[in-house]
Amino acid sequence: MRPAGRAETDSLYFDYPHFPFVRPAELEGGPTRHRVAIVGAGPVGVTAALELARHGVDSVVLDDKDTVNDGSRAICISRHSLEILQQLGVDGPFVEKGLGWTRGRTYFRDREIYRFEMPHTQQERFLPMYNLQQQYIEKFLIDKAAESERIELRWRSAVTGVRQEEDGVTLEVATPEGDYRLECDYLLAADGARSMVRKALGLALHGEAYEGRYVIADIRMHSDFPTERRAFFHSAALPDSTILVHKQPDDIWRIDYQLSPDEDPEAAVEEGNIRDRVGQIVREVLGERDDWELEWWSLYKAYTLALDDYRHGRVLFIGDSAHLVPIFGVRGLNNGLADAANAGWKLAWVLKEQASERLLDSYTPERRGATLDVFANAGKSTRFMTPPSRGYRLMRDAALSLALHNDYASGFANPRQVTPYTYAESPLTLADEAGFNAGPMPGAPLFNRRLSEDGFLLDYLGSGFTLLHFSHDGSIDPALAECLNALQAAGQRIDVLTVARQPGSDNTLADRNGNLFAAYGADPGSAYLIRPDRHVAARWKRPEPGDLEAALATALGGN
Amino acid sequence: MTDTTLPFADLERTYERLAETLDALPEAQERLFLAQLALALAHRVGDLERVMAAIEEARQGVEETSA
Repeated sequence: MRPAGRAETDSLYFDYPHFPFVRPAELEGGPTRHRVAIVGAGPVGVTAALELARHGVDSVVLDDKDTVNDGSRAICISRHSLEILQQLGVDGPFVEKGLGWTRGRTYFRDREIYRFEMPHTQQERFLPMYNLQQQYIEKFLIDKAAESERIELRWRSAVTGVRQEEDGVTLEVATPEGDYRLECDYLLAADGARSMVRKALGLALHGEAYEGRYVIADIRMHSDFPTERRAFFHSAALPDSTILVHKQPDDIWRIDYQLSPDEDPEAAVEEGNIRDRVGQIVREVLGERDDWELEWWSLYKAYTLALDDYRHGRVLFIGDSAHLVPIFGVRGLNNGLADAANAGWKLAWVLKEQASERLLDSYTPERRGATLDVFANAGKSTRFMTPPSRGYRLMRDAALSLALHNDYASGFANPRQVTPYTYAESPLTLADEAGFNAGPMPGAPLFNRRLSEDGFLLDYLGSGFTLLHFSHDGSIDPALAECLNALQAAGQRIDVLTVARQPGSDNTLADRNGNLFAAYGADPGSAYLIRPDRHVAARWKRPEPGDLEAALATALGGN
Repeated sequence: MTDTTLPFADLERTYERLAETLDALPEAQERLFLAQLALALAHRVGDLERVMAAIEEARQGVEETSA
């Protein structure tokens, strides 16, 4: 919502683009069939399109709007998400425009009781978190997609019907210049919390709703306070309300505040009430003296809801259409981007006939598994942020009081921010080999290491599978080389990335001090098989003949 | 005497169980319940010095955050 007299896209700082409607081939009567249709041009849908394009698969993206999101909404992008964006070649504008951060503070009764620092070292290319308004997130992705010949963005195209058949999916699409039918091999539903595709297939989200509503409001204000996450509990000004504050680019500040249980949410979001409450927080809680302007606000309630199955035949649900999670811990958008990357590469491998359709069976266990992991954490953090009862409230206040001087209690004030999920239970993941005492286990994402002034391990991954091979001088065991050649000759996209202590050629990454070897628990001869989404499929201290082939077959859904 | 402390994950479970137990009690019984719990835990700690330190910790927390 915006102040009276301002349209939904009338922002203080952001010029909303207006994307033109272009008559699609279907309206010209030509026969067309698409490999992949994506419903929803939000951050998750467009990320999926970019991931498909990266693997050479065309897609068409449909959205009923002709612009980006009406408000800042999802503002925190995690390091893991930046690594996804880097693979799509679009990390640049995010890092340039976004505000990176590592720190947060928790206040109880207006005293700072705890500071947290998210893990960050010189080994990382990206900071743990970047704040950026969702409009920018969407714009940067759409700009990138517009450059690709493999992505067709169709604006003002509302999907009104979905029909699934044995060999494809048919959509009914309504546009300003008439309705048409769109046929595709596979459908990605990225159409958000109120997913039309979900309804059309008669599917429902299951889970629970939490007590407590939040208003999320953006204001423009000049302040020198650094980019940190601030959480206020039991402030003198608003003792019943938990308050969260984040800085965003363009002098925009996000203020989230909890409504008390007896407050009428409809009255709470009236402009006059928003101005009163936000003004009080700015002056009395944040101690800011400058004037501020109201930009945008919305109402929020915490849910943990998910589909029972994220895949229904040729339809895969990605992002909020598949799951709704509480905002605390910033998992909504970040998990949606991981869904998009996961569904994207698998669909590409199936469509390019490098894997059977069974590869898609792993989508739900991997990504729904990630959602359930989020739920387990989100329940705790939501009960902490918005205590549902007298008992939880007393315990919360007790933990915060003790945290003032006692580290053992400060863990309760930790925001439990998003961490990438390990696909340890996935059908694509091999059991870990004994003998590794360091490095990412099978199912976990590869972690970064600095290799030079501006060179990091993840920069060197191929776009398909990568065999990360550790070697003394860069040479590969002849049996392994032969196996790689055979796989490549059979059409598998697998690149070799060799790390050597004493590199003999330019095609190897030099690790003269052995830091990378140590971080990955590797000896000369050790190897990691890495999936296109950077998760480890398998690792070996020293692969035996046939190991690589077997692991790749498993990672592609089995024979 | 041992200096063992509870791992954080167990402290979290304690937090949740206490919250639920408190919710199941009439509010008027809250103080009596918490005082009994303090004595029952002190009995199990088996070290007067550590019990006194815990009492002081809690007293400080109340004093400094309720000003």
